[in-house]
Amino acid sequence: MGYARFLAKRGLQGLFVVWAVVTVVFALRYITPGDPVAFIAPLDAGPELRQAIAESYGLDEPLYVQYGRYLWDLAHLDMGQSYARGTSVSAEVLGALPVSLELAVASTVVAVVISVPLGVVSAVNHRQPTDYAATTLSLVGISTPNFWLGVMLVLLLAVQFNVFPTSGLAEVNGETVLFVDALRHLVVGETRWLVEWLAHITLPAVTLGTYFTALVTRLTRSGMLEELGESYVTALRAKGLPEALVRYRHALKNTLIPVVTVLGLQLGTLVGGAVITERVFDLPGLGSLLIDAINQQQWMILQGCLIIVSGGFVVVNTAVDALYAYVSPEVTAE
Amino acid sequence: MTADGNQSGKSRRTFLTAAGSTAATVLVAGCSSGGDSDAASTTEPVTTEQAATDEQTETGPPEEFELTITQGTMPTTLDPHDHRDIPTDITMLQSYEGLLSRTAEGEITAMLATDWERVEEGHVRFTIREGPTFHKTGNELAPEDVAYTINRIVDDETGFTSPQAGQLAGVTGAEVADDGRAVDVYSDGFNPIVFSEFAIYCDVVEKAWVQDNEKSYVAQHMNGTGPFEQTDYEQNQSVEFERYDDYWREPADVSHLTIESASDAGVRVNQLVAGETDLVVNVPPESFSRVEDSEASVEAVGSTRVLYNAMKATVEPFSSPEFRRAMNYAVDLESIIDSALQGAGGQTGQPTLEPFFGYEADIDPYPYDPDKAEQLVEESGHAGVSIELHTPVGRYLKDLQIARSVAGMIDELPNVSCSVNQRTFSTLAGELTDSDITTGPDFYLIGWGNATFDASQTINPTLTSDGSLTSWKNDDLDQLVEDANSTTDTDERERLLREANQLCHDEAPWIFLNRQYSVYGTSDRIEWTARNDERIDAYAISLAQ
Repeated sequence: MGYARFLAKRGLQGLFVVWAVVTVVFALRYITPGDPVAFIAPLDAGPELRQAIAESYGLDEPLYVQYGRYLWDLAHLDMGQSYARGTSVSAEVLGALPVSLELAVASTVVAVVISVPLGVVSAVNHRQPTDYAATTLSLVGISTPNFWLGVMLVLLLAVQFNVFPTSGLAEVNGETVLFVDALRHLVVGETRWLVEWLAHITLPAVTLGTYFTALVTRLTRSGMLEELGESYVTALRAKGLPEALVRYRHALKNTLIPVVTVLGLQLGTLVGGAVITERVFDLPGLGSLLIDAINQQQWMILQGCLIIVSGGFVVVNTAVDALYAYVSPEVTAE
Repeated sequence: MTADGNQSGKSRRTFLTAAGSTAATVLVAGCSSGGDSDAASTTEPVTTEQAATDEQTETGPPEEFELTITQGTMPTTLDPHDHRDIPTDITMLQSYEGLLSRTAEGEITAMLATDWERVEEGHVRFTIREGPTFHKTGNELAPEDVAYTINRIVDDETGFTSPQAGQLAGVTGAEVADDGRAVDVYSDGFNPIVFSEFAIYCDVVEKAWVQDNEKSYVAQHMNGTGPFEQTDYEQNQSVEFERYDDYWREPADVSHLTIESASDAGVRVNQLVAGETDLVVNVPPESFSRVEDSEASVEAVGSTRVLYNAMKATVEPFSSPEFRRAMNYAVDLESIIDSALQGAGGQTGQPTLEPFFGYEADIDPYPYDPDKAEQLVEESGHAGVSIELHTPVGRYLKDLQIARSVAGMIDELPNVSCSVNQRTFSTLAGELTDSDITTGPDFYLIGWGNATFDASQTINPTLTSDGSLTSWKNDDLDQLVEDANSTTDTDERERLLREANQLCHDEAPWIFLNRQYSVYGTSDRIEWTARNDERIDAYAISLAQ
């Protein structure tokens, strides 16, 4: 009951955020130089052709009319048509979303699998060589720019040693393989799809996950240290609980709360598309779509992307809060 | 002919490793369709053609030859009449064909028309080839299809505005001729370049297929008569083709063709070097050596695009011809091409490129002579002036670097100072193309592509008073171009256009910069000769011996 109200409130807030984003983007059209018509029309196009193009996309109408029309369509779940390409924005954006989503989740998995154990080892062996090694490693990770790391990984592992493909999405028999496709084929016992998918996702996931790995390692380490110094840990040890249980059952569990928060926030950012990583690996995700839309003054696609990105943020944040509310009920009470 | 192929490959290789030296530049120039490469361009195709015929008569085309081409962007649509960009063009030409086409040397050649003639002023007739069939329906090509295609492009009445209408300039409509196998095409006025226009645009579609299907279906599927049948299309991902075995010429060597894209040049080079693709476009100069060091090579060839700095001749100081000439003398074009472009560019001295109709072969580019430039600035009475060069960023190969070099060289003159203003292309283009010469900057870098191979299609839009992109008002030029466009005498027309080019050189409304080169990376496993008109015709690609 209280939980449902909490969710409803968050849902409304989310809608408001998305509306605000759309409005700001529309307002930006006023102050941004350049005109989509100038981009669509050939250089030598005459005024008639330009006028015809402007009319066909409704660009000749006053901005408030375009704004009103857009909101109306949006309320009917229609994000409109792209300029020149004439494709539906929903199709473009929803086509790009799974690619970004996959990359986001895969890099998070890479990060968690590496960083949590590393942080724990580091905290448990506080001020010992293992700790220093782990801390140094995370420093290196956090200070490596991922455009550089991505390019280096490609040059070394893809171009030089041909272990991984250089770029793009996996393809089997001329069909693009996303994670769901890989799973679908795995169920019927065909592993080739999964192998192809893994080959294509590994380098981007490692590239994107590295920065993140470093961050979470540090977070886990400091959280774990703090927890291990708490009096309840001393009490647990005093009552004779095995050290392993103290560490992993009790201390680690408490450490993970801030880690989940950071993971959630980060995932929200990643859904918006990791522009650089997508560029380096030529992945047709939201980040690539967004950059192309900006370069080509594709306002409709830009708006569509931003709606999905802000929507993604809202959903992830709400999910994290809901998780919180579930774990510690005082969040709902606020 | 294998030895020939290898040799030309090697010479390119040597040039690239030595790029930067003057010898290298000469070699690059040789790669273009310049006069000094005439020998190369006439012998090479002959040998490859022979190779193709030998192979086909003896063994037929290879059973399996999968080819991947990676462009910078994916086609915007698969509707052959709803675009005006090169990557879409390249995708179209694998499957769709026009009435006429051009050979690699730029000659007009027959495609779906077997014969073409002028009937009277404003009226030409194409005789339509018998035999070609459409991929998806298997129906034979009919003159109705051709007439419908032309009207679909030029006539809004068909319920569709084609951005290619301007490319068939002057053409008003078409209808099937009385004898049943020909199509009559009508133009406003004489229309001297009508056949040049039809050699680029007019991809023939099947009337019934287009009419029976939704427009969105036509934008997602291809139904042409060409050497490849489109089998799959994933938006923003790839277009797949299979060899069309019932093609009206010999079937292609390539059995399966994939067109992909990667917007980042580094990614394209990586794909090529790793052997994931066979042909990539726009290899950046800094990657030349990486490509050459792998099992691939760089092919550079002059494109149909010329880069220039327009100087708006209606405002000071650019209203002075002395000042404009001074700017040309102040720029060391050769060193810009060597450094910024690693030799992949050609010098120009007139608006028209070689071997276009109307090119004036006697014109040399302005030499680099800063002393003369300084003296001319003094004579013009504008000593001490400050000018600002507007340039788009990322629109043309190394545009910003070129603009910076030009501005730097002008700034080195003791009596002129010059700076660069970086602009967004669409904003700059918007200011330039609003048909109002008073808006927009006075001094800007821009490129102009002209696939008709006819001087008028460069000079008309960019230099005559009524041009959509003009920066000049000169009565002599306007008169020359008008005369050229109305004369029915081909020789006289060529003389007039050459004179117009000479006038442009002398009066220097532009700082003449480089001819942009198309730079491709090709895998050593394929045999292909790059073309001036940026077309990548997979039909002309074969396996290397």
